[in-house]
Amino acid sequence: MAVHEPEARQSYLVFACGSSWYAVPAESAAEVVTFPELTRVPGAPAHLLGVFAHRGEVIPVVDMGLLVGGASQSSRRAVLVRLPRGTLALTASTVAGVSPVTGTLEPLGPTGVHVHLRGPAKSGPRDVAVIDPEGLFDHLSQGA
Amino acid sequence: MVPLSVRGMLLCHAGPHRLAFHAHEVASITSPEGWAAPSARRAFHSPDGAARVLVSAAGGAVGVDTLEIEAEAHPVLPAPAVAVRASGGSLQGFVLVQGKLWPLMGLVDFERFLRGLVGEAA
Repeated sequence: MAVHEPEARQSYLVFACGSSWYAVPAESAAEVVTFPELTRVPGAPAHLLGVFAHRGEVIPVVDMGLLVGGASQSSRRAVLVRLPRGTLALTASTVAGVSPVTGTLEPLGPTGVHVHLRGPAKSGPRDVAVIDPEGLFDHLSQGA
Repeated sequence: MVPLSVRGMLLCHAGPHRLAFHAHEVASITSPEGWAAPSARRAFHSPDGAARVLVSAAGGAVGVDTLEIEAEAHPVLPAPAVAVRASGGSLQGFVLVQGKLWPLMGLVDFERFLRGLVGEAA
């Protein structure tokens, strides 16, 4: 399997959900928001906390802690990841800001959401999982 | 095809959760007695229960806790793909009514989805 280095010129928005740190390509990270009371989605799994309306768009909120099989985080803040196909809000307990990431971009697991989390990588002293936004979107919306 | 707007809805609750249905899809509203209607609460992982049953023209039915009629027209906001998938395709979009988002469900598809949840649990 090929080992990919993060592109040197690419910047990432680095944020934490609980004790785990994540990095999402800065060009996909639209903004950081504090979301209002959510509307639950019928049939939604636990990691899909609900949706809210933001500038005329209905945006789903995903609890990153629950998504990766960990504990739920009670944060009301989220990173909006905007793709041509839609927008996802990923819960964030802490936002460190935009910074470079070093390391490799191998899938952190063979199945499930971990296929779309890459590493091992670091942002400064922090171990981060680099999110593949397109893959994560497919995983959540199609089960790919 | 998701409608651009909807006029005539039933705004319902399943437990504390909001649901909206096209009024024209509801042939009648009745009490739960005598109906083996799946409870809409199942979609929120809550114990079954209903105070009213919405019956479709095809004879299918869904139980809800409360309902009120909304006669005004409202634009339908597209549902994110992740939300459509979660609801088994029965989610048609969202409407903003009374300052809150309501999931707009297709009654027949939602009943089918709820019955499938029973199958999954069995």
